[in-house]
Amino acid sequence: MLRRLLIALVTADIITVDRLTKRYGDLTAVDGISFSVRQGETFGILGPNGAGKTTTLEMIEGLKGITSGTAVLGGHDVAQQARTVKSLIGVQLQASSFFDGLNLKELIETFAALYGRTVDAMQLLRQVQLEEKWKSQVKELSGGQKQRLSIAVALVNDPKVLFLDEPTTGLDPQARRNLWDLISGIKRQGKTIILTTHYMEEAEVLCDRVAIMDHAKIVALDTPLGLIRQADVGSTVEFHVDRQPDLDALKQLPGVEQAVSENHAIRIITKQPEQTLPALFEFKAKAGLAVTNVQMHQATLEDVFLKLTGHLLRE
Amino acid sequence: MNTTAKLTSSSIKMFVRNRQAVFFTLFVPIVIMTIFGLLGFDNVPKIDVGVVQEPANQHVFSDQLKQISALDVHFGTEDDERARLADGDRAAVLLIPAAVDQRQLTPLSPATITVLKNVGKPQEAGTVVSLVRQMLDQATLAAAQAPTLFQLDVQEVNARNLKYIDFLLPGIVALAIMQMAVFSVAFVFVDYKEKGILKRLLATPMKPFQFVSANVITRLLVAVVQAAILIVVGVLVFKAHVIGSYWLLLPSVILGGVMFLGLGFTISGLAKTVEAVPAIANLVVFPMLFLGGTFFPLDIMPTWLQSIVQYLPLTYLSDALRSVMTESASFTAISHDLFWMLGWSAVLVFLANLTFGFEEKRV
Repeated sequence: MLRRLLIALVTADIITVDRLTKRYGDLTAVDGISFSVRQGETFGILGPNGAGKTTTLEMIEGLKGITSGTAVLGGHDVAQQARTVKSLIGVQLQASSFFDGLNLKELIETFAALYGRTVDAMQLLRQVQLEEKWKSQVKELSGGQKQRLSIAVALVNDPKVLFLDEPTTGLDPQARRNLWDLISGIKRQGKTIILTTHYMEEAEVLCDRVAIMDHAKIVALDTPLGLIRQADVGSTVEFHVDRQPDLDALKQLPGVEQAVSENHAIRIITKQPEQTLPALFEFKAKAGLAVTNVQMHQATLEDVFLKLTGHLLRE
Repeated sequence: MNTTAKLTSSSIKMFVRNRQAVFFTLFVPIVIMTIFGLLGFDNVPKIDVGVVQEPANQHVFSDQLKQISALDVHFGTEDDERARLADGDRAAVLLIPAAVDQRQLTPLSPATITVLKNVGKPQEAGTVVSLVRQMLDQATLAAAQAPTLFQLDVQEVNARNLKYIDFLLPGIVALAIMQMAVFSVAFVFVDYKEKGILKRLLATPMKPFQFVSANVITRLLVAVVQAAILIVVGVLVFKAHVIGSYWLLLPSVILGGVMFLGLGFTISGLAKTVEAVPAIANLVVFPMLFLGGTFFPLDIMPTWLQSIVQYLPLTYLSDALRSVMTESASFTAISHDLFWMLGWSAVLVFLANLTFGFEEKRV
């Protein structure tokens, strides 16, 4: 009995995705990805725009048809039992809006009715710090307040899994941190959260495990720290230049694994900074390059992404 | 709480709080009713007649002329009146010599009244001529002391006085239901689609049918309230007469509502953006506004046009409402209209199913 319980606890995967694929004609938006999410875990999908993050989420949520493969949530096959799955999850869609003409309290009560429930709307609004705004309409809210409201709406059915699609995109740093605190609070209550983001820092702060997605595929999946270790990135050297140098020549320098440029900033990933740095200054002298703001730091998820995909996340 | 009931109560709140919707639902129809009510199509305009007469002690002829209610008699100099005739302000001008009034007449020298006719107003001028001729004939007979052989007995029968406002009111109610149903659905649902609200609703276990039902019920209630308010305003403010049963209007209002809601959802499916809604909707609604029997009866249209417009959805709705309101028609009498509205409802709901969905459909 105890053994079975322990096994159940250890292997409690609330979401299992197996070779999930979405094709639109010739375009493959999601290409046979597999992963599982554990009960109570915050799982991040990190990737640039167009990587297939949103499509992946919407297939699991039962919003988009699955071309092939399976997604199982709480023991229910999404393709077969979409309505059951929808009653178990809470969803925040990317850039979604709500009705005008209802105040926040009425809006939350209306959404609760969609699940056949009644809720304490004020309590939910308090949880997302919108209690005083209960009489307002959605159009009167700021971007950050709208996102907090949409999280409150996603919680009306006390969901087993909360889906957040780019919850902080377009928010200012202050509002973003505010939302991170809110999400961390929900996480502490034991809710399973699955979120997409293209902010490295967000994934590092919030997620227990991160899947890195690029061009419709998962290229790596681990804890944030594990990813950095696994990628064996070494260090990052960043500096500013007065003109565009030859990137291919930079990549030939000893120890260099990747080199990219963004405006006039160059970022080099190296495993042997002690060899790379002297070579870099030699290169600089030969090319007659003016180099400023040289910085060296430990690798972040950003660098992992760069090493795995050969391009920057922000593109 | 029941999902559809809660959705309906929310949907009613949203409708009532939407100022634009209320404006188009009530204010615009009342303005249209006011404008057309003020135009006063009931009063047949009087015929303007110019009279030029020589100075005399008494003006027997022109005094008689002034008694005729169909005429508006103006006096002036010959030059003035000729100028007014040329400008089209007079249907005819009469030149009356003093001899006419002084009755110094013998059969050998009849006095001559000259009538200048406006060729641009042949009917009105012709009326003036025959009236003058009639007056002169009577005067001649009186002077000759001829016996009266025939008498004309004209009796007035007070028929039901159908005024223009009585004709207009049912048309305005029909028009208002059409506008409300088509535009409130098309604008709102395309907006929901554009803002991702429909998609957000799909992420809940709710069935789309429940949400659509809530919105349909809301608008059918609005249609009934709207019809009631417009009729009350028509009767109290514009003195319209409603002689039929108010309850018999209900099936027409509901069926008309369903029919035009179907059209509204069809347009929601066709329009990809809110901006496209008025373009598509007016393409369908605008011709009906003028041809659907709202402002004037179908009888005045050419026959070939009548044979087309009699099948318009709005024609059936205004006809059914008008038959009940002005003729006290029975249910059997309007069943033909109701039957056709039922048919149109089926067609339009089918089309709505084809074009409209919570997700983008590729039509």
